[in-house]
Amino acid sequence: MFLPGGVLTLLVIVVPLAVALYISLLDLDQYSIREWVGADFIAFDNYVEAVRDSHLVHAIGISLGYSALVSLACVPVGLAAAVATQDRFRGRGLVRSILLVPYVLPAFVVGSTWRIIFQPDGIANRVLGTDGLWLNGPRSFWALVLVQLWAGWPLVYLLAAAGLQSLDATVHEAAALDGAGWWAKLRYVVLPQLRGPVSLALVISFLHNVNSFTLPFVLFGVPSPVDVEVLPVLTYVESFQNFEFGLSVAMAVVSLVLVAIPMAVYLRAVRLDTGRERGSR
Amino acid sequence: MRRSEEVARLLPGPLRAVVLTVLLLVVLGPLAYMFLASVSSDLAVARGALWPDGFHIDNYARIWSTTNLGRGLVNSVLIAGAVAVVSAFVALLSAYVLVRYAFRGRVAVLRGLLALQSIPGTLLLLPVFVLFASAATALGVTIIGTRWAVLITYLTFALPFSTWVMVTYLRELPPELDEAARVDGASPWRVLTRVIAPLSWPGLVVSGVFAFLLGWNDVLFASVLTNPDSRTAAVELQIFGASQEGGALPVYGQLMAAALVCAVPVVALYLVFQRYLVAGLTTGGVR
Repeated sequence: MFLPGGVLTLLVIVVPLAVALYISLLDLDQYSIREWVGADFIAFDNYVEAVRDSHLVHAIGISLGYSALVSLACVPVGLAAAVATQDRFRGRGLVRSILLVPYVLPAFVVGSTWRIIFQPDGIANRVLGTDGLWLNGPRSFWALVLVQLWAGWPLVYLLAAAGLQSLDATVHEAAALDGAGWWAKLRYVVLPQLRGPVSLALVISFLHNVNSFTLPFVLFGVPSPVDVEVLPVLTYVESFQNFEFGLSVAMAVVSLVLVAIPMAVYLRAVRLDTGRERGSR
Repeated sequence: MRRSEEVARLLPGPLRAVVLTVLLLVVLGPLAYMFLASVSSDLAVARGALWPDGFHIDNYARIWSTTNLGRGLVNSVLIAGAVAVVSAFVALLSAYVLVRYAFRGRVAVLRGLLALQSIPGTLLLLPVFVLFASAATALGVTIIGTRWAVLITYLTFALPFSTWVMVTYLRELPPELDEAARVDGASPWRVLTRVIAPLSWPGLVVSGVFAFLLGWNDVLFASVLTNPDSRTAAVELQIFGASQEGGALPVYGQLMAAALVCAVPVVALYLVFQRYLVAGLTTGGVR
């Protein structure tokens, strides 16, 4: 019974992974791709070229910088939403449904929408009273951060809300007995209990942003403006616009190293045999 | 009851109202604009007008001739639908084995299910492309450009997550259930289809919906592995959007209408299965 899933995974993930590692050592371009098995073996030259003569280092900086920024910015917004929807009030169910909509919208829809909002004569400049470009030049970095934040914060909200729901009722009683005000209770009693779920959300959100291809691709198009040339888009362009296949795959292998550390943290945080996140009690 | 609710309060009422108003404005603002723009004339959107200059509902009629969105939606429904059904079913099988049988490497497989979700798609794109091309040459069939190419690809990306969701569901079911059935002489297959599957349908729904969304939302693989006949709605919309730059007046009103049409099935799925999906999301998925 295990066989179908196992074989499929092997075929389309493990085998390509091995092929990727091999291709990254080949001199592969549009001329040699047809007979890719026989292409020249050039060892680590692609990696050397990627570091020395390509935008790889720049792209890593952009990717890491914007991912960290977005993930951190999601925390206060998500926490505020979780805390504000915890108390009962009329219409709470509706509010909770609405808050998750940006997160469930497909990234290509979010990208297309904000592309129009940010066009030079568009509504963003009209509402903000600014003018000039948002989808090119230095401001494009902030456009990417903003849109990714708009679409991503509900994940923190979701995990923090789940954490709040599992809070012990005695916590509230103890705080009330001590005569703590709402801020003291929030700051010293409630929020510290959410450290687990919020850290998990941070890691997941960081991984999501580092690997995010569709949103920057649709929002800015290719060739990407240099200020938002994130690693997945650079890798894609190198393969399917410049036809530098070996170089492109070498870049993608480097991106695997980027996600390895947060991934290891994530794997430690999820307890495999009970499926409960350690932090969410 | 009333008192304990009073004690559990986190925020004073007015502050809560302020926080929620700001959040709802931030969330609903762009969504409202999306709708307004979709019923505006192309010129009004291009000028950055907030209110539509009339009610141009005909945008929704014109997109079907401006783009190939109709065919794209059919392709998306077929592909994502097949991914959903197959991966929910296969995930049930794999998860049952992972939960009920002890074997060497079980924990490694569980860990792999989570790790595989954070492998960047861009790393696998070119190898998958090259392998499909080589396999096609060897077997004498066409793979790239057909719906099968993306279907197979999505299936494998969906399976790790679907299996993980099913694992979290199945281990909540008491083992006594299968034991009782097995004592009555039922085969493992019968236990699975007659006892386990009916009890774990919320898990099947979550696995299926997430697999569907993966297929519906992907642009990366579909942009490389499909041709004009097998293109999905996501790629049609991306191409439509990218072709608006330069040249004559961009048809922004129609673009927004098309984007909304692509979003509606997803939001509808979410609203219908909200309760299960939220539970599924908190079990820890990266995507």
